[in-house]
Amino acid sequence: MIFHDKPELARRAIWCALVFLSPLMTAGAIAGDKSAIKVGRIITQNGPDILNGVIVIEGGKVQSLGADVKIPWDAEVIDHPELVAFPGFVESHTSRGMDRPNENIEVVPFLDVRDSIDPVNVYFEDALRQGITTINVQHGSSTVIGGQGMIVRPFGITIEQMLVRTNSGLKICAAPRTGRSRATQAQALRRAFTDLRQYLEKLVQDKKDGKDYARREALYQGRDLEKEENKKGRAMESSATWKVAGLESIPRGEIDEKQEPLLRLVEGKIPAFVYCDSGAAVHLALELARANGFLASTTLVLDGDAWKAVDVIAEAGVPVVLGSTLMHVERDPVTGDEIETFVPGVFKKKNVRFALQSLNPTTQSLWYQAALCVGYGLDRKDALDAVTRVPADILRLGKRVGSLEVGKDGNVVLFSGDPLSVQSSVQYVVLEGKLVYDRSKDVRARHLLEGVEQENTAPAGVDAQADVHDDEHGEQKDPNDKPKVDRGEKSDKKESGEKKP
Amino acid sequence: MTSRSSVAFLAPLAAAWTLSAPAPAAPLGVVAVQAGRIHLVESDEVIEGGGTILIEDGRILAVGKNLALPPGTRVVDYGADAVIVPGLVSPDSTYGLSRPSERTADPSLMAIDNFDPYNSFVGALAEGVTSVYLPPARGRLIAGQGAVVKLAGKAGQEDRRVLSASATIHGAVSAEARNTPGYWRPPVPATVDVGLGTEKAQLPRSLMGALVALRELLALAQGGPDQGEYGPETGPVLRELMSARKPWRLAATDAMEIRAVLDFFRENGLPLVIDGADGAGPLATEIARAGASVIVDAPFIPNTPGRNFGKERDAQWPEFDTAAALERAKVKFAIAPANQASAADLRFAARVASRGGLSRGAALRAITLSPAEILGVAGRVGSLKVGKDADLAVFNGHPLEPTSSVLATWIDGEVVFKAYERSAVVLEIDELHVGDGSIVSPGEILMQDGRIVEVGRKVGHPLGCTVMRGSAAMPGMIDALGHLGLEGSNKIPATRFELKRLVEPGDFADRRVAQAGVTTVVLSPRGTSRSGAPMMAYKPAGTDVSKMVIDDPVGLRFQWADKNRLESGQAMREVLAKAIEYDKKWDEYEKKLATWTPPKAGDEAEAGAAAKEDETADKKNGEGEKHGVEADKKEGGDKKDGADDKKKDDDTDKKKSKKKGEKEPAKPVTGAWETKITVPPFGESRLRFYLLEVNGEITGSLRCAGLSDGLVEVSGSRQEHTVTLAGDGSRGRIEVHAEEVEGKLEGDITMGVTKVEFKAEQTSTEYEIAGRIEQRKPKPEKKKEIKGEPKAPTIDPDLEPLRRAMKGEAAVLIGVDRADEIVDCVDAFEEAHIQPVLYGADEAWKVVEKIRGRIAGVLLSQRVTATEPKTGARKRNRYAELASAGILVAFHSAAEEGAVELPLMAAYAVAQGLSPEVALRALTGDAADMLAIDDRVGFLAPGMDADVLLLDGSPFEASTSVTRVFVSGEEVR
Repeated sequence: MIFHDKPELARRAIWCALVFLSPLMTAGAIAGDKSAIKVGRIITQNGPDILNGVIVIEGGKVQSLGADVKIPWDAEVIDHPELVAFPGFVESHTSRGMDRPNENIEVVPFLDVRDSIDPVNVYFEDALRQGITTINVQHGSSTVIGGQGMIVRPFGITIEQMLVRTNSGLKICAAPRTGRSRATQAQALRRAFTDLRQYLEKLVQDKKDGKDYARREALYQGRDLEKEENKKGRAMESSATWKVAGLESIPRGEIDEKQEPLLRLVEGKIPAFVYCDSGAAVHLALELARANGFLASTTLVLDGDAWKAVDVIAEAGVPVVLGSTLMHVERDPVTGDEIETFVPGVFKKKNVRFALQSLNPTTQSLWYQAALCVGYGLDRKDALDAVTRVPADILRLGKRVGSLEVGKDGNVVLFSGDPLSVQSSVQYVVLEGKLVYDRSKDVRARHLLEGVEQENTAPAGVDAQADVHDDEHGEQKDPNDKPKVDRGEKSDKKESGEKKP
Repeated sequence: MTSRSSVAFLAPLAAAWTLSAPAPAAPLGVVAVQAGRIHLVESDEVIEGGGTILIEDGRILAVGKNLALPPGTRVVDYGADAVIVPGLVSPDSTYGLSRPSERTADPSLMAIDNFDPYNSFVGALAEGVTSVYLPPARGRLIAGQGAVVKLAGKAGQEDRRVLSASATIHGAVSAEARNTPGYWRPPVPATVDVGLGTEKAQLPRSLMGALVALRELLALAQGGPDQGEYGPETGPVLRELMSARKPWRLAATDAMEIRAVLDFFRENGLPLVIDGADGAGPLATEIARAGASVIVDAPFIPNTPGRNFGKERDAQWPEFDTAAALERAKVKFAIAPANQASAADLRFAARVASRGGLSRGAALRAITLSPAEILGVAGRVGSLKVGKDADLAVFNGHPLEPTSSVLATWIDGEVVFKAYERSAVVLEIDELHVGDGSIVSPGEILMQDGRIVEVGRKVGHPLGCTVMRGSAAMPGMIDALGHLGLEGSNKIPATRFELKRLVEPGDFADRRVAQAGVTTVVLSPRGTSRSGAPMMAYKPAGTDVSKMVIDDPVGLRFQWADKNRLESGQAMREVLAKAIEYDKKWDEYEKKLATWTPPKAGDEAEAGAAAKEDETADKKNGEGEKHGVEADKKEGGDKKDGADDKKKDDDTDKKKSKKKGEKEPAKPVTGAWETKITVPPFGESRLRFYLLEVNGEITGSLRCAGLSDGLVEVSGSRQEHTVTLAGDGSRGRIEVHAEEVEGKLEGDITMGVTKVEFKAEQTSTEYEIAGRIEQRKPKPEKKKEIKGEPKAPTIDPDLEPLRRAMKGEAAVLIGVDRADEIVDCVDAFEEAHIQPVLYGADEAWKVVEKIRGRIAGVLLSQRVTATEPKTGARKRNRYAELASAGILVAFHSAAEEGAVELPLMAAYAVAQGLSPEVALRALTGDAADMLAIDDRVGFLAPGMDADVLLLDGSPFEASTSVTRVFVSGEEVR
């Protein structure tokens, strides 16, 4: 919570800037540290739904939640008995929101997407609008070994404000990048790890020979070798099929920046997201992960007909992120019959944990993908888990997001109805206790969906006089009415006078 | 074709399987695959006359003749004409070919990485190719490591499909390797002191350069100094491969290149496979001495335009006899499809490369065992040997026969391809009786989808067709008049009775008759009636009613003679007179219809306009209404759109209200209405109604910003002029009470406490809202009568067959015996333009001159011979007499299942002097001809039903029996 330790003035300034830059981002409705959300139904994603419940968020975390929770007197209250509270969707893998997703050079584990993420990219605005509260941004899939990813919340105007966690994983691509074939891609991938091994062996050999090339290089690059974590060496601790003996003699700070992230991957310190476009790529991905000791921290990002390798995926026990269409259609080459395969169903059957991925930021966002899965016959629970709990676990954020539980982050999305219904829309989004999205103030959505404020483009039959905005429930008759977010005491007064503390 | 019938289509081959498939003893038990001939390829052994391959757990358990099958064995029998060979091994392919490396030598590039085991390779499997070599890339001195894989396998056993992940060191010294670009890698990061660098030129640019590079690489592999020219990985990887004695597979095309690599590899004692090897023929003995093996590329690429080889004197033009030369010199060689050709064309490649006297056996070995041995995978594939993988290709002839194709492909003891669907049957026959008297000998018939597609000395063999051989074949026989199916009934049904109601597929007796060769029966009840007894042509062995019935009715049967001989023919004449009258009516109608031109579109519009005019006149002047409606009906009648219907409806509504004596008739409120109203607290807003009235019930919508944010669905009713509507708006329930006054809607709208008056004008009478159509009641569709269109006469089912007979589309059988009556009868029919079939016709031989050319044919009684009336001794052959006089005869059984004796009757007639040719025609083509079913049965000709009999001898040897019967392409068993 970067905001909390900043002076009030600065905060105001930022809010103003925010409001100015992005009208969508509602500022300051809740300014205090405590807030409460009172809704008709809370989908906790952790046990049964709570009817007419309250979520109290303090210090960005869920303080309490339940039907009979008392609202603290000093909490700011969002009171909407007609809305449904939901933990917020988790996007486990995307390459959106960057100025460009791919680097020309093929092996770039030393890159970090934080240098590429564009906080005002309209993607993040869309994500918020669709109820996505946690996003793992990863290097694009046209690479061999890509850069490191970063988990962000889709709100903020600097990367620091958006940051949830850095080093969320290293992107590896088992599918041939443009200009490569499967074999040359496999060769390049294997070579990257051989290079690492040879580099480390040379490092150790040089040390033994009393040469200090590495140290000199590190000083030349301006690395701080006196920092505690850089000072000492450490023996290689990896489940890879190969080991470099004597690595403990090398202070970690002396290891080249270009090789160091890959070493950490091999040591299981950072997760890997391996993109696979086919069954063959899955075989390659698992072979690499096994040989280089990162199988336990691997997530496969699947595309095309990679699902066909479900047996080997199940055997390896790695989770998957399902990218492409949920219903795979191919033609039987002999009979010409169309064969449809419901991909999540295949993984469900083999007990492989799977997360869903948005196909695009607007029309095929996570809720839609989950709803589609339910339509195709997946359990509602599994479909919802695939966009909340499972991706949270994949991102190692299982203790923070993915469900509404006491102690977890106060990320709440308020839907006008069921989150998987096409008729529902996201009305409010609260991120760690802060109201960051209010649909009634979402000018862009209004322009897009309702076509207001533009007489010429108004749909036939809507009169100029009828240009009175209200939400879909028709309860705000007065167009000048303020949104229903008030100070707690006010709201209490409205509800029942006696509740005054 | 239904799935059932397609199974039956292959029935002769899969019979055993179909029977045993439903109850396999154990899912992982032993499978026995049987066929007439099995080429083991291993030591060139061939099992003739029926062999069996026993398979267990994907491997060959035993191969041989008359093997004892373990209990519970699942048997798959492909029939005596099928040939099994080992699954073909293509020593080259285009599958997963990658871009060549940046390095001139990159042995770490693995072809196996390009292989996606989840891909379908059905194209090659359909040609019997089960294993292929995958080259890593082309166009480099050392492109990488080649691999050998199987093209299919069990899910979850992807590893089993890899026969060799590293089979060869693959490369080329030929021209293709001489375009390697310079090597350059950008430094990361490129700083001022590092610089971008320049690219390093790479060898080879010539054959000389190639050999220099090979020498350097060899030195590198043997631990020589690394100049950094070939990359840091190259040396160690190459060393590893060479210590495993992996063969070098190098493309070398012309004699010079071949010689160069031969020398080099002999010097260094390395295993060599020469790839491509166009010019290897003259060097065959040298190659044999060097112990190298060769992969011969077929010098032809199918499915591409012709190639230009070069006009210079020394240009390398294709050599077709390389393989034959190598075989003579005892060089181990395999045949591969040309460089860019698909592995699916392997068999064709072997045929192309067989010129110059390569035997079929050697060619087969060159696409099975030899490539497996050269590529080091002969331990698992390449031949049929106990312990090897059960990879089989089942063909309908020798695989190198031009017309043969794959029936099924097996990998690891499982069928991975079968040519079931829509597959065809080809009969290869020594003596083919076509049915019109001609014989094709030898001849072939191609049958597909129940019909004959081709007949001739040689016909096309579609891929996957079943081939059967036999000594003779003829069309299915026709019982020209039988009672099969009557089940002994003596009833005479009405003339219009549909006999097809009697038949039922799958009847036991029916099938037995068909099995005896009588595939068509013309069924008629016993006895006739004055208006004629119906006749139907049907196939007793058809698998469903639609396939069974050829024509119903195919004609009518009459009797000329009366009990009172004086009245003989009278009934018939009456019927014929009626038929002529009936025909005349239809002819007139058809003539009229042919000359009649329907009114043009412009006329239609005019008529519509007139109708509209009438309508408006109506409104003004109530008395004109009736006339108006009529005019509307008449002139607007030919309009075909729905608007017309609606208008008519409106008219009827008008009519109704009119009759009640209203002065100003209330009109339906269908259409759009518009006005402006002021609803406090909002300002003035537009109010619009879109209404649809059907029989006084109104549905539709209203729109008014002051009342509701969106469209309000309303419904209500109209009582005379009073309209009441109600609906739920976004701010509450809205109720409308209005009166329709002079085309305006006046009234008030209530919403809660608000009440607003309005007066709306009609802006349209159309209800143009999409998606509301379902609310209208569907109207029974009336056939529109178009003005001036000729009216068709009613169809008389009793006379219709006669009318068809006049056109030659149906048959009329008439029982008549005496010579004078025959003449009378033929005269009478001639008046009606019908050529009858005479039935009985005892004395027809006396009047042949008078009836020749005027009748369709004669059905004599079964008595073949008669004695000369005067001498009482000399026997005459009644059938031969008529036939020689140019009159068609046919045989009929006049029995039910007794139809099976038809061929014997014919055989007897032949024995009594009838020409066998005529007898065969009488049983087939002539019978079909006289009964007007010659468009479907009776001949073996393209387009006809595939009703074919296979015989084990000449058709009229009494000892000949029918061995197989096809009805509509399906075998009857």
